[in-house]
Amino acid sequence: MLAYAARRIPSALVVLFLASIAIFAVLRLTPGSPAVVLAGPDADPATIASITHELGLDLPLPEQYAIWLRGIVTGHMGQSYILGAPIATLIGRGLSNTAELTVAAVGLAIVIALVVGIVGATTGSRVLKTLVVTFTTVSFAVPTFISGVVLVLIFAVGLHVLPPGGHASFGSGPLTALRFLILPAVCLALPAAAVLARFLQTSLQHVLDEEYIRVARAKGLPWRQILVRHALPNAFPGVVTVLGIQFGQLLGGAVIVEAIFAWPGLGQLILQSFVSRDYLLVQDLVLLSVTVFIVMQTLTDLAHAALDPRLRLER
Amino acid sequence: MRLGAVFVALIVLAGIVAPLIARQDPLFQTAGASLLPLSAAHPLGTDDLGRDLLSRVLYGIRVDVIVSVIGVPISAVIGTLLGLAGPSSRYTDIAIQRGFDVILAFPILILGIAIASVTNAGLPAIVATVVIANVPIFGRLARTAFLQQRERDYVVAAEAIGAGTGRILFRHILPNSVDPLIVQLALSLATAVFVEGGMSFVGVGIRVPAPSLGNILNESLPYLASNPNFALGPMVVFAMLVLGLNLIADGLNARLSRR
Repeated sequence: MLAYAARRIPSALVVLFLASIAIFAVLRLTPGSPAVVLAGPDADPATIASITHELGLDLPLPEQYAIWLRGIVTGHMGQSYILGAPIATLIGRGLSNTAELTVAAVGLAIVIALVVGIVGATTGSRVLKTLVVTFTTVSFAVPTFISGVVLVLIFAVGLHVLPPGGHASFGSGPLTALRFLILPAVCLALPAAAVLARFLQTSLQHVLDEEYIRVARAKGLPWRQILVRHALPNAFPGVVTVLGIQFGQLLGGAVIVEAIFAWPGLGQLILQSFVSRDYLLVQDLVLLSVTVFIVMQTLTDLAHAALDPRLRLER
Repeated sequence: MRLGAVFVALIVLAGIVAPLIARQDPLFQTAGASLLPLSAAHPLGTDDLGRDLLSRVLYGIRVDVIVSVIGVPISAVIGTLLGLAGPSSRYTDIAIQRGFDVILAFPILILGIAIASVTNAGLPAIVATVVIANVPIFGRLARTAFLQQRERDYVVAAEAIGAGTGRILFRHILPNSVDPLIVQLALSLATAVFVEGGMSFVGVGIRVPAPSLGNILNESLPYLASNPNFALGPMVVFAMLVLGLNLIADGLNARLSRR
Protein backbone atom coordinates (compact mmCIF):
# COMPACT_ATOMS: atom_id res chain seq x y z
CA MET A 1 0.00 0.00 0.00
CA LEU A 2 2.83 2.39 0.89
CA ALA A 3 4.55 1.58 -2.38
CA TYR A 4 1.35 2.39 -4.26
CA ALA A 5 0.96 5.67 -2.38
CA ALA A 6 4.62 6.48 -3.10
CA ARG A 7 3.86 6.16 -6.83
CA ARG A 8 0.46 7.82 -6.84
CA ILE A 9 1.11 10.92 -4.72
CA PRO A 10 4.12 12.29 -6.66
CA SER A 11 2.28 11.95 -9.96
CA ALA A 12 -0.64 13.91 -8.47
CA LEU A 13 1.80 16.60 -7.34
CA VAL A 14 3.27 16.80 -10.84
CA VAL A 15 -0.19 17.33 -12.34
CA LEU A 16 -0.98 19.97 -9.71
CA PHE A 17 2.32 21.75 -10.41
CA LEU A 18 1.74 21.73 -14.17
CA ALA A 19 -1.84 22.93 -13.67
CA SER A 20 -0.66 25.82 -11.49
CA ILE A 21 1.82 26.86 -14.19
CA ALA A 22 -0.91 26.65 -16.83
CA ILE A 23 -3.29 28.79 -14.75
CA PHE A 24 -0.59 31.34 -13.99
CA ALA A 25 0.61 31.52 -17.57
CA VAL A 26 -2.84 31.84 -19.10
CA LEU A 27 -4.28 34.36 -16.65
CA ARG A 28 -1.11 36.42 -16.23
CA LEU A 29 0.11 36.62 -19.78
CA THR A 30 -3.11 37.92 -21.25
CA PRO A 31 -3.32 41.46 -22.53
CA GLY A 32 -4.91 43.94 -20.15
CA SER A 33 -2.89 43.86 -16.95
CA PRO A 34 -4.90 43.59 -13.73
CA ALA A 35 -3.40 46.95 -12.79
CA VAL A 36 -5.10 48.66 -15.76
CA VAL A 37 -8.43 47.15 -14.73
CA LEU A 38 -7.94 48.15 -11.09
CA ALA A 39 -6.94 51.71 -11.93
CA GLY A 40 -10.17 52.25 -13.84
CA PRO A 41 -10.83 53.62 -17.31
CA ASP A 42 -9.53 57.18 -16.85
CA ALA A 43 -6.37 56.42 -14.88
CA ASP A 44 -3.11 58.13 -15.82
CA PRO A 45 0.02 56.05 -16.51
CA ALA A 46 1.57 57.02 -13.16
CA THR A 47 -1.34 55.50 -11.20
CA ILE A 48 -1.17 52.34 -13.32
CA ALA A 49 2.58 52.13 -12.75
CA SER A 50 2.21 52.50 -8.99
CA ILE A 51 -0.52 49.84 -8.81
CA THR A 52 1.59 47.57 -11.01
CA HIS A 53 4.45 48.01 -8.59
CA GLU A 54 2.26 47.51 -5.52
CA LEU A 55 0.88 44.22 -6.89
CA GLY A 56 4.37 43.08 -7.82
CA LEU A 57 3.39 42.84 -11.48
CA ASP A 58 6.69 44.48 -12.53
CA LEU A 59 8.74 41.61 -11.12
CA PRO A 60 10.12 38.85 -13.36
CA LEU A 61 7.45 36.23 -14.10
CA PRO A 62 9.12 33.31 -12.28
CA GLU A 63 9.36 35.50 -9.19
CA GLN A 64 5.70 36.51 -9.48
CA TYR A 65 4.81 32.83 -9.77
CA ALA A 66 6.85 31.96 -6.67
CA ILE A 67 5.26 34.79 -4.67
CA TRP A 68 1.81 33.67 -5.78
CA LEU A 69 2.40 30.04 -4.72
CA ARG A 70 3.96 31.09 -1.41
CA GLY A 71 0.97 33.30 -0.70
CA ILE A 72 -1.44 30.45 -1.33
CA VAL A 73 0.48 27.96 0.79
CA THR A 74 0.87 30.38 3.73
CA GLY A 75 -2.59 31.92 3.39
CA HIS A 76 -1.20 35.43 2.78
CA MET A 77 -2.82 36.07 -0.58
CA GLY A 78 -3.10 39.80 -0.14
CA GLN A 79 -6.08 42.07 -0.57
CA SER A 80 -8.82 41.92 -3.15
CA TYR A 81 -8.80 45.58 -4.16
CA ILE A 82 -12.09 45.39 -5.93
CA LEU A 83 -14.09 43.45 -3.34
CA GLY A 84 -12.32 45.31 -0.54
CA ALA A 85 -11.37 42.45 1.78
CA PRO A 86 -8.41 40.13 2.33
CA ILE A 87 -8.55 37.33 -0.24
CA ALA A 88 -7.99 34.73 2.48
CA THR A 89 -11.08 35.95 4.37
CA LEU A 90 -13.23 35.96 1.22
CA ILE A 91 -12.12 32.45 0.29
CA GLY A 92 -12.49 31.17 3.85
CA ARG A 93 -16.09 32.39 4.06
CA GLY A 94 -17.00 31.03 0.64
CA LEU A 95 -15.22 27.76 1.23
CA SER A 96 -17.13 26.94 4.42
CA ASN A 97 -20.47 27.58 2.69
CA THR A 98 -19.52 25.61 -0.40
CA ALA A 99 -18.17 22.79 1.75
CA GLU A 100 -21.50 22.66 3.60
CA LEU A 101 -23.33 22.41 0.26
CA THR A 102 -21.02 19.85 -1.35
CA VAL A 103 -20.78 17.60 1.71
CA ALA A 104 -24.58 17.57 1.96
CA ALA A 105 -24.79 16.83 -1.79
CA VAL A 106 -22.27 13.99 -1.61
CA GLY A 107 -24.09 12.47 1.36
CA LEU A 108 -27.39 12.67 -0.48
CA ALA A 109 -25.87 11.33 -3.69
CA ILE A 110 -24.48 8.30 -1.85
CA VAL A 111 -27.82 7.52 -0.18
CA ILE A 112 -29.77 7.92 -3.43
CA ALA A 113 -27.20 5.87 -5.36
CA LEU A 114 -27.28 3.05 -2.80
CA VAL A 115 -31.06 2.79 -2.92
CA VAL A 116 -31.37 3.15 -6.71
CA GLY A 117 -28.31 1.00 -7.48
CA ILE A 118 -29.33 -1.88 -5.21
CA VAL A 119 -32.94 -1.81 -6.39
CA GLY A 120 -31.78 -1.67 -10.02
CA ALA A 121 -29.44 -4.63 -9.61
CA THR A 122 -31.68 -6.90 -7.56
CA THR A 123 -35.29 -6.23 -8.49
CA GLY A 124 -37.20 -8.62 -10.71
CA SER A 125 -39.98 -6.12 -11.31
CA ARG A 126 -40.06 -4.59 -14.78
CA VAL A 127 -41.78 -1.46 -13.57
CA LEU A 128 -39.08 -0.81 -10.95
CA LYS A 129 -36.34 -1.48 -13.49
CA THR A 130 -37.87 1.05 -15.91
CA LEU A 131 -38.19 3.58 -13.10
CA VAL A 132 -34.52 3.12 -12.20
CA VAL A 133 -33.36 3.53 -15.81
CA THR A 134 -35.56 6.60 -16.27
CA PHE A 135 -34.28 8.16 -13.08
CA THR A 136 -30.61 7.62 -13.90
CA THR A 137 -30.95 8.72 -17.54
CA VAL A 138 -32.90 11.87 -16.74
CA SER A 139 -30.89 12.96 -13.69
CA PHE A 140 -27.65 12.37 -15.52
CA ALA A 141 -28.65 14.17 -18.69
CA VAL A 142 -30.63 17.14 -17.39
CA PRO A 143 -28.24 19.96 -16.49
CA THR A 144 -28.36 21.46 -12.98
CA PHE A 145 -29.56 24.81 -14.30
CA ILE A 146 -32.72 23.06 -15.49
CA SER A 147 -33.29 20.77 -12.51
CA GLY A 148 -32.64 23.71 -10.18
CA VAL A 149 -35.31 25.83 -11.84
CA VAL A 150 -37.73 22.87 -11.80
CA LEU A 151 -37.08 22.33 -8.07
CA VAL A 152 -37.72 26.03 -7.34
CA LEU A 153 -40.91 25.97 -9.43
CA ILE A 154 -42.26 22.90 -7.61
CA PHE A 155 -41.17 23.34 -4.01
CA ALA A 156 -40.88 27.11 -3.63
CA VAL A 157 -43.28 28.64 -6.15
CA GLY A 158 -45.88 25.86 -6.32
CA LEU A 159 -45.99 24.19 -2.92
CA HIS A 160 -44.45 27.00 -0.83
CA VAL A 161 -42.72 24.45 1.39
CA LEU A 162 -39.09 25.54 0.93
CA PRO A 163 -37.40 28.89 0.29
CA PRO A 164 -36.41 29.58 -3.36
CA GLY A 165 -32.92 30.60 -2.35
CA GLY A 166 -30.63 32.08 0.26
CA HIS A 167 -28.58 30.71 3.09
CA ALA A 168 -28.79 30.55 6.88
CA SER A 169 -25.95 29.40 9.09
CA PHE A 170 -26.48 26.40 11.35
CA GLY A 171 -25.70 28.67 14.32
CA SER A 172 -28.93 30.58 13.75
CA GLY A 173 -31.06 27.45 14.07
CA PRO A 174 -30.45 24.08 12.46
CA LEU A 175 -33.99 23.72 11.14
CA THR A 176 -33.93 27.01 9.25
CA ALA A 177 -30.45 26.25 7.91
CA LEU A 178 -31.65 22.85 6.73
CA ARG A 179 -34.63 24.36 4.93
CA PHE A 180 -32.30 26.56 2.90
CA LEU A 181 -29.90 23.69 2.28
CA ILE A 182 -32.33 21.06 0.94
CA LEU A 183 -33.08 22.33 -2.58
CA PRO A 184 -29.52 23.32 -3.59
CA ALA A 185 -28.12 20.09 -2.14
CA VAL A 186 -30.66 17.94 -4.01
CA CYS A 187 -30.00 19.86 -7.23
CA LEU A 188 -26.25 19.40 -6.92
CA ALA A 189 -26.57 15.75 -5.86
CA LEU A 190 -28.79 14.50 -8.71
CA PRO A 191 -26.25 14.10 -11.56
CA ALA A 192 -23.65 12.60 -9.22
CA ALA A 193 -26.27 10.24 -7.78
CA ALA A 194 -27.21 9.08 -11.27
CA VAL A 195 -23.62 8.27 -12.25
CA LEU A 196 -22.91 6.53 -8.94
CA ALA A 197 -26.14 4.53 -9.11
CA ARG A 198 -25.34 3.33 -12.63
CA PHE A 199 -21.86 2.21 -11.66
CA LEU A 200 -23.05 0.54 -8.47
CA GLN A 201 -25.81 -1.26 -10.35
CA THR A 202 -23.48 -2.61 -13.05
CA SER A 203 -20.81 -3.56 -10.56
CA LEU A 204 -23.33 -5.25 -8.25
CA GLN A 205 -24.89 -7.18 -11.14
CA HIS A 206 -21.45 -8.58 -12.03
CA VAL A 207 -20.75 -9.58 -8.44
CA LEU A 208 -24.15 -11.23 -8.04
CA ASP A 209 -23.33 -13.52 -11.00
CA GLU A 210 -20.20 -14.83 -9.26
CA GLU A 211 -19.88 -18.41 -8.06
CA TYR A 212 -19.39 -17.51 -4.42
CA ILE A 213 -22.75 -15.76 -4.33
CA ARG A 214 -24.36 -18.93 -5.68
CA VAL A 215 -22.55 -20.91 -2.98
CA ALA A 216 -23.80 -18.50 -0.33
CA ARG A 217 -27.34 -18.90 -1.61
CA ALA A 218 -26.98 -22.67 -1.75
CA LYS A 219 -25.83 -22.63 1.88
CA GLY A 220 -29.16 -21.02 2.66
CA LEU A 221 -27.83 -17.65 3.85
CA PRO A 222 -30.55 -15.02 4.07
CA TRP A 223 -30.66 -12.68 1.05
CA ARG A 224 -29.95 -9.58 3.11
CA GLN A 225 -26.80 -11.11 4.56
CA ILE A 226 -25.57 -12.16 1.11
CA LEU A 227 -26.09 -8.62 -0.14
CA VAL A 228 -24.54 -6.81 2.82
CA ARG A 229 -21.73 -9.21 3.74
CA HIS A 230 -20.72 -10.68 0.39
CA ALA A 231 -21.96 -8.70 -2.59
CA LEU A 232 -21.75 -5.01 -1.64
CA PRO A 233 -18.19 -5.00 -0.26
CA ASN A 234 -16.99 -6.49 -3.54
CA ALA A 235 -19.03 -4.08 -5.63
CA PHE A 236 -17.76 -0.95 -3.87
CA PRO A 237 -14.10 -0.49 -4.84
CA GLY A 238 -14.71 0.67 -8.43
CA VAL A 239 -17.55 2.89 -7.31
CA VAL A 240 -15.24 4.73 -4.90
CA THR A 241 -13.14 6.02 -7.81
CA VAL A 242 -16.24 7.32 -9.53
CA LEU A 243 -17.24 9.04 -6.29
CA GLY A 244 -13.92 10.91 -6.25
CA ILE A 245 -14.36 12.19 -9.79
CA GLN A 246 -17.94 13.22 -9.07
CA PHE A 247 -16.91 15.03 -5.89
CA GLY A 248 -14.31 17.00 -7.84
CA GLN A 249 -16.86 17.91 -10.51
CA LEU A 250 -19.28 19.17 -7.84
CA LEU A 251 -17.21 22.33 -7.45
CA GLY A 252 -17.95 23.20 -11.07
CA GLY A 253 -21.61 22.34 -10.54
CA ALA A 254 -21.65 24.48 -7.40
CA VAL A 255 -21.08 27.59 -9.55
CA ILE A 256 -24.45 27.01 -11.22
CA VAL A 257 -26.32 25.81 -8.15
CA GLU A 258 -25.08 28.73 -6.07
CA ALA A 259 -26.18 31.13 -8.81
CA ILE A 260 -29.72 29.69 -8.88
CA PHE A 261 -30.18 29.52 -5.12
CA ALA A 262 -28.19 32.65 -4.18
CA TRP A 263 -25.90 30.49 -2.02
CA PRO A 264 -22.95 32.62 -0.85
CA GLY A 265 -20.14 30.18 -1.62
CA LEU A 266 -17.01 29.93 -3.76
CA GLY A 267 -19.06 29.71 -6.95
CA GLN A 268 -20.64 33.09 -6.27
CA LEU A 269 -17.23 34.48 -5.32
CA ILE A 270 -15.61 33.35 -8.56
CA LEU A 271 -18.46 34.89 -10.58
CA GLN A 272 -18.22 38.12 -8.59
CA SER A 273 -14.51 38.29 -9.18
CA PHE A 274 -15.08 37.55 -12.87
CA VAL A 275 -17.67 40.31 -13.23
CA SER A 276 -15.52 42.84 -11.38
CA ARG A 277 -12.55 41.64 -13.44
CA ASP A 278 -10.52 40.82 -10.33
CA TYR A 279 -8.41 38.30 -12.23
CA LEU A 280 -5.94 37.78 -9.41
CA LEU A 281 -8.79 36.38 -7.33
CA VAL A 282 -10.07 34.32 -10.28
CA GLN A 283 -6.59 32.83 -10.55
CA ASP A 284 -6.57 31.83 -6.86
CA LEU A 285 -10.05 30.32 -7.06
CA VAL A 286 -9.33 28.31 -10.21
CA LEU A 287 -6.21 26.86 -8.61
CA LEU A 288 -8.18 26.08 -5.46
CA SER A 289 -10.82 24.10 -7.33
CA VAL A 290 -8.20 22.23 -9.35
CA THR A 291 -6.38 21.39 -6.11
CA VAL A 292 -9.55 20.07 -4.51
CA PHE A 293 -10.23 17.97 -7.62
CA ILE A 294 -6.74 16.45 -7.66
CA VAL A 295 -6.71 15.81 -3.90
CA MET A 296 -10.10 14.08 -4.04
CA GLN A 297 -9.04 11.97 -7.00
CA THR A 298 -5.81 10.92 -5.28
CA LEU A 299 -7.57 10.12 -2.01
CA THR A 300 -10.17 7.99 -3.76
CA ASP A 301 -7.50 6.20 -5.80
CA LEU A 302 -5.73 5.37 -2.53
CA ALA A 303 -9.02 4.25 -0.99
CA HIS A 304 -9.67 2.11 -4.05
CA ALA A 305 -6.24 0.51 -3.68
CA ALA A 306 -6.84 -0.10 0.02
CA LEU A 307 -10.13 -1.84 -0.78
CA ASP A 308 -8.84 -3.78 -3.77
CA PRO A 309 -5.41 -5.34 -3.26
CA ARG A 310 -5.06 -6.30 -6.96
CA LEU A 311 -4.73 -2.64 -7.90
CA ARG A 312 -1.68 -2.10 -5.71
CA LEU A 313 0.29 -4.75 -7.58
CA GLU A 314 -0.39 -3.26 -10.99
CA ARG A 315 2.51 -1.43 -12.47
CA MET B 1 -32.46 6.11 -29.68
CA ARG B 2 -35.04 6.98 -32.34
CA LEU B 3 -36.82 9.21 -29.86
CA GLY B 4 -33.51 10.91 -29.11
CA ALA B 5 -32.81 11.46 -32.79
CA VAL B 6 -36.28 12.92 -33.30
CA PHE B 7 -35.81 15.34 -30.36
CA VAL B 8 -32.44 16.53 -31.62
CA ALA B 9 -33.51 16.77 -35.27
CA LEU B 10 -36.61 18.82 -34.41
CA ILE B 11 -34.65 21.32 -32.36
CA VAL B 12 -31.76 21.68 -34.77
CA LEU B 13 -34.24 22.16 -37.60
CA ALA B 14 -36.09 24.83 -35.61
CA GLY B 15 -32.79 26.63 -35.06
CA ILE B 16 -31.84 26.46 -38.73
CA VAL B 17 -35.15 27.84 -39.99
CA ALA B 18 -35.37 30.39 -37.15
CA PRO B 19 -35.46 33.41 -39.49
CA LEU B 20 -38.45 31.86 -41.31
CA ILE B 21 -40.59 31.00 -38.29
CA ALA B 22 -39.61 33.68 -35.80
CA ARG B 23 -42.28 36.35 -35.82
CA GLN B 24 -40.11 39.14 -34.53
CA ASP B 25 -36.53 40.26 -34.37
CA PRO B 26 -35.21 38.58 -31.18
CA LEU B 27 -33.84 41.96 -30.05
CA PHE B 28 -36.98 43.98 -30.82
CA GLN B 29 -38.60 45.42 -27.70
CA THR B 30 -42.33 46.06 -27.93
CA ALA B 31 -43.23 48.98 -25.66
CA GLY B 32 -45.74 48.02 -22.97
CA ALA B 33 -45.63 44.34 -23.87
CA SER B 34 -43.32 43.07 -21.13
CA LEU B 35 -43.87 39.74 -19.33
CA LEU B 36 -46.91 38.73 -21.37
CA PRO B 37 -48.26 35.20 -20.88
CA LEU B 38 -48.54 32.65 -23.69
CA SER B 39 -50.75 33.89 -26.53
CA ALA B 40 -51.29 33.48 -30.26
CA ALA B 41 -49.18 36.56 -30.99
CA HIS B 42 -46.40 35.44 -28.64
CA PRO B 43 -46.57 31.62 -28.34
CA LEU B 44 -44.04 31.63 -25.48
CA GLY B 45 -44.97 35.04 -24.13
CA THR B 46 -42.58 37.97 -23.83
CA ASP B 47 -39.67 38.72 -21.53
CA ASP B 48 -39.13 41.56 -19.08
CA LEU B 49 -38.13 43.92 -21.89
CA GLY B 50 -41.07 43.07 -24.12
CA ARG B 51 -39.12 40.85 -26.53
CA ASP B 52 -40.83 37.86 -28.12
CA LEU B 53 -39.59 34.76 -26.28
CA LEU B 54 -40.23 32.30 -29.12
CA SER B 55 -37.97 34.35 -31.40
CA ARG B 56 -35.29 34.58 -28.69
CA VAL B 57 -35.41 30.83 -28.02
CA LEU B 58 -35.24 29.98 -31.74
CA TYR B 59 -32.22 32.23 -32.25
CA GLY B 60 -30.75 30.93 -28.98
CA ILE B 61 -30.80 27.39 -30.41
CA ARG B 62 -28.51 28.58 -33.20
CA VAL B 63 -25.82 29.43 -30.67
CA ASP B 64 -25.86 25.87 -29.35
CA VAL B 65 -25.82 24.44 -32.85
CA ILE B 66 -22.81 26.61 -33.76
CA VAL B 67 -20.94 25.74 -30.56
CA SER B 68 -21.56 22.00 -31.07
CA VAL B 69 -20.92 21.87 -34.79
CA ILE B 70 -17.67 23.81 -34.56
CA GLY B 71 -16.33 22.77 -31.16
CA VAL B 72 -16.95 19.04 -31.06
CA PRO B 73 -15.46 18.03 -34.45
CA ILE B 74 -12.35 20.15 -33.81
CA SER B 75 -11.81 18.50 -30.43
CA ALA B 76 -12.48 15.04 -31.91
CA VAL B 77 -9.86 15.52 -34.63
CA ILE B 78 -7.20 17.06 -32.36
CA GLY B 79 -7.87 14.53 -29.58
CA THR B 80 -7.78 11.52 -31.91
CA LEU B 81 -4.55 12.67 -33.59
CA LEU B 82 -2.87 13.27 -30.21
CA GLY B 83 -4.14 9.93 -28.92
CA LEU B 84 -2.77 8.08 -31.94
CA ALA B 85 0.51 10.03 -32.01
CA GLY B 86 1.29 9.56 -28.33
CA PRO B 87 2.39 5.93 -28.20
CA SER B 88 4.89 6.46 -31.06
CA SER B 89 7.54 7.46 -28.54
CA ARG B 90 7.79 7.13 -24.78
CA TYR B 91 8.41 10.81 -24.17
CA THR B 92 5.67 12.24 -26.38
CA ASP B 93 3.34 9.72 -24.76
CA ILE B 94 4.21 10.90 -21.25
CA ALA B 95 4.00 14.57 -22.27
CA ILE B 96 0.61 14.15 -23.95
CA GLN B 97 -0.80 12.04 -21.11
CA ARG B 98 0.30 14.60 -18.51
CA GLY B 99 -1.22 17.36 -20.60
CA PHE B 100 -4.52 15.45 -20.64
CA ASP B 101 -4.31 14.92 -16.87
CA VAL B 102 -3.88 18.64 -16.32
CA ILE B 103 -6.89 19.56 -18.48
CA LEU B 104 -9.06 16.90 -16.84
CA ALA B 105 -8.21 18.33 -13.40
CA PHE B 106 -10.29 21.43 -14.25
CA PRO B 107 -14.01 21.12 -13.51
CA ILE B 108 -15.47 22.07 -16.87
CA LEU B 109 -17.26 25.26 -15.82
CA ILE B 110 -14.24 26.47 -13.88
CA LEU B 111 -12.24 25.95 -17.05
CA GLY B 112 -14.88 27.97 -18.87
CA ILE B 113 -14.65 30.82 -16.38
CA ALA B 114 -10.84 30.86 -16.63
CA ILE B 115 -10.99 30.94 -20.44
CA ALA B 116 -13.71 33.60 -20.40
CA SER B 117 -11.55 35.80 -18.14
CA VAL B 118 -8.80 35.63 -20.72
CA THR B 119 -10.81 35.98 -23.91
CA ASN B 120 -13.39 38.34 -22.42
CA ALA B 121 -16.35 35.94 -22.74
CA GLY B 122 -18.61 35.44 -25.73
CA LEU B 123 -18.93 32.72 -28.32
CA PRO B 124 -15.15 32.15 -28.82
CA ALA B 125 -14.72 31.44 -25.09
CA ILE B 126 -17.50 28.84 -25.17
CA VAL B 127 -16.13 27.13 -28.28
CA ALA B 128 -12.60 27.14 -26.82
CA THR B 129 -13.90 25.58 -23.60
CA VAL B 130 -15.75 22.87 -25.52
CA VAL B 131 -12.63 22.08 -27.58
CA ILE B 132 -10.16 22.08 -24.68
CA ALA B 133 -12.41 20.06 -22.37
CA ASN B 134 -13.12 17.38 -24.99
CA VAL B 135 -9.64 16.90 -26.47
CA PRO B 136 -8.34 14.70 -23.61
CA ILE B 137 -11.49 12.59 -23.65
CA PHE B 138 -11.15 11.77 -27.37
CA GLY B 139 -7.39 11.48 -26.92
CA ARG B 140 -7.61 8.84 -24.21
CA LEU B 141 -10.24 6.83 -26.09
CA ALA B 142 -8.16 6.87 -29.27
CA ARG B 143 -4.99 5.92 -27.40
CA THR B 144 -6.65 2.97 -25.65
CA ALA B 145 -8.16 1.73 -28.91
CA PHE B 146 -4.81 2.14 -30.69
CA LEU B 147 -2.96 0.13 -28.04
CA GLN B 148 -5.56 -2.65 -28.29
CA GLN B 149 -5.45 -2.82 -32.08
CA ARG B 150 -1.68 -2.54 -32.42
CA GLU B 151 -1.09 -6.10 -31.31
CA ARG B 152 -3.73 -7.59 -33.63
CA ASP B 153 -2.68 -9.93 -36.41
CA TYR B 154 -3.96 -7.73 -39.24
CA VAL B 155 -1.72 -4.88 -38.09
CA VAL B 156 1.29 -7.18 -37.84
CA ALA B 157 0.44 -8.48 -41.32
CA ALA B 158 0.18 -4.95 -42.72
CA GLU B 159 3.57 -4.14 -41.20
CA ALA B 160 5.03 -7.33 -42.65
CA ILE B 161 4.01 -6.43 -46.20
CA GLY B 162 5.70 -3.08 -45.71
CA ALA B 163 2.81 -0.65 -45.16
CA GLY B 164 3.94 2.75 -43.85
CA THR B 165 3.05 4.10 -40.41
CA GLY B 166 0.52 6.58 -41.79
CA ARG B 167 -1.21 3.93 -43.86
CA ILE B 168 -1.39 1.52 -40.93
CA LEU B 169 -2.71 4.23 -38.61
CA PHE B 170 -5.36 5.73 -40.85
CA ARG B 171 -6.31 2.86 -43.18
CA HIS B 172 -6.17 -0.02 -40.71
CA ILE B 173 -6.20 1.01 -37.05
CA LEU B 174 -8.45 4.08 -37.08
CA PRO B 175 -11.44 2.45 -38.85
CA ASN B 176 -11.30 -0.38 -36.32
CA SER B 177 -11.06 1.98 -33.33
CA VAL B 178 -13.85 4.29 -34.31
CA ASP B 179 -16.79 2.82 -32.32
CA PRO B 180 -16.09 4.37 -28.91
CA LEU B 181 -15.22 7.65 -30.62
CA ILE B 182 -18.63 7.78 -32.30
CA VAL B 183 -20.44 7.20 -29.00
CA GLN B 184 -18.27 9.91 -27.48
CA LEU B 185 -19.26 12.31 -30.27
CA ALA B 186 -22.87 12.17 -29.11
CA LEU B 187 -21.87 12.62 -25.47
CA SER B 188 -19.57 15.52 -26.34
CA LEU B 189 -22.38 17.24 -28.23
CA ALA B 190 -24.43 17.02 -25.03
CA THR B 191 -21.46 18.45 -23.11
CA ALA B 192 -21.22 21.32 -25.61
CA VAL B 193 -24.87 22.18 -25.02
CA PHE B 194 -24.25 22.00 -21.27
CA VAL B 195 -21.19 24.26 -21.53
CA GLU B 196 -23.04 26.91 -23.54
CA GLY B 197 -26.01 26.77 -21.18
CA GLY B 198 -23.91 26.78 -18.02
CA MET B 199 -21.53 29.53 -19.10
CA SER B 200 -24.24 31.81 -20.46
CA PHE B 201 -26.44 31.05 -17.45
CA VAL B 202 -23.83 32.25 -14.95
CA GLY B 203 -22.90 35.22 -17.13
CA VAL B 204 -19.55 34.21 -18.59
CA GLY B 205 -20.83 33.05 -22.00
CA ILE B 206 -23.10 34.77 -24.50
CA ARG B 207 -23.78 38.29 -23.27
CA VAL B 208 -27.21 39.90 -23.41
CA PRO B 209 -28.90 41.32 -25.44
CA ALA B 210 -27.83 38.55 -27.86
CA PRO B 211 -30.12 35.61 -27.09
CA SER B 212 -28.83 32.22 -25.93
CA LEU B 213 -30.78 29.51 -24.13
CA GLY B 214 -28.55 29.91 -21.07
CA ASN B 215 -28.91 33.65 -20.72
CA ILE B 216 -32.67 33.60 -21.36
CA LEU B 217 -33.01 31.11 -18.51
CA ASN B 218 -30.87 33.32 -16.30
CA GLU B 219 -32.98 36.38 -17.10
CA SER B 220 -36.12 34.43 -16.19
CA LEU B 221 -34.94 33.65 -12.62
CA PRO B 222 -36.35 36.78 -10.91
CA TYR B 223 -39.74 36.09 -12.53
CA LEU B 224 -40.12 32.38 -11.71
CA ALA B 225 -42.89 33.04 -9.20
CA SER B 226 -44.85 35.59 -11.23
CA ASN B 227 -44.18 34.46 -14.84
CA PRO B 228 -43.02 30.84 -14.98
CA ASN B 229 -43.62 30.78 -18.77
CA PHE B 230 -40.53 33.00 -19.14
CA ALA B 231 -38.36 29.96 -18.31
CA LEU B 232 -40.47 27.45 -20.25
CA GLY B 233 -38.86 27.70 -23.72
CA PRO B 234 -35.20 27.31 -22.80
CA MET B 235 -36.02 24.55 -20.30
CA VAL B 236 -37.95 22.42 -22.77
CA VAL B 237 -35.35 22.91 -25.51
CA PHE B 238 -32.39 22.15 -23.21
CA ALA B 239 -34.07 19.08 -21.78
CA MET B 240 -34.95 17.73 -25.23
CA LEU B 241 -31.49 18.39 -26.66
CA VAL B 242 -29.49 16.92 -23.82
CA LEU B 243 -31.80 13.97 -23.23
CA GLY B 244 -31.95 13.32 -26.96
CA LEU B 245 -28.18 13.28 -27.33
CA ASN B 246 -27.78 11.00 -24.31
CA LEU B 247 -30.40 8.60 -25.68
CA ILE B 248 -28.55 8.56 -29.01
CA ALA B 249 -25.27 7.81 -27.22
CA ASP B 250 -26.88 4.99 -25.20
CA GLY B 251 -28.46 3.56 -28.34
CA LEU B 252 -25.23 3.72 -30.35
CA ASN B 253 -23.33 2.17 -27.47
CA ALA B 254 -25.75 -0.76 -27.24
CA ARG B 255 -25.81 -1.25 -31.01
CA LEU B 256 -22.04 -1.10 -31.47
CA SER B 257 -21.21 -3.35 -28.53
CA ARG B 258 -23.61 -6.00 -29.89
CA ARG B 259 -21.66 -6.06 -33.15
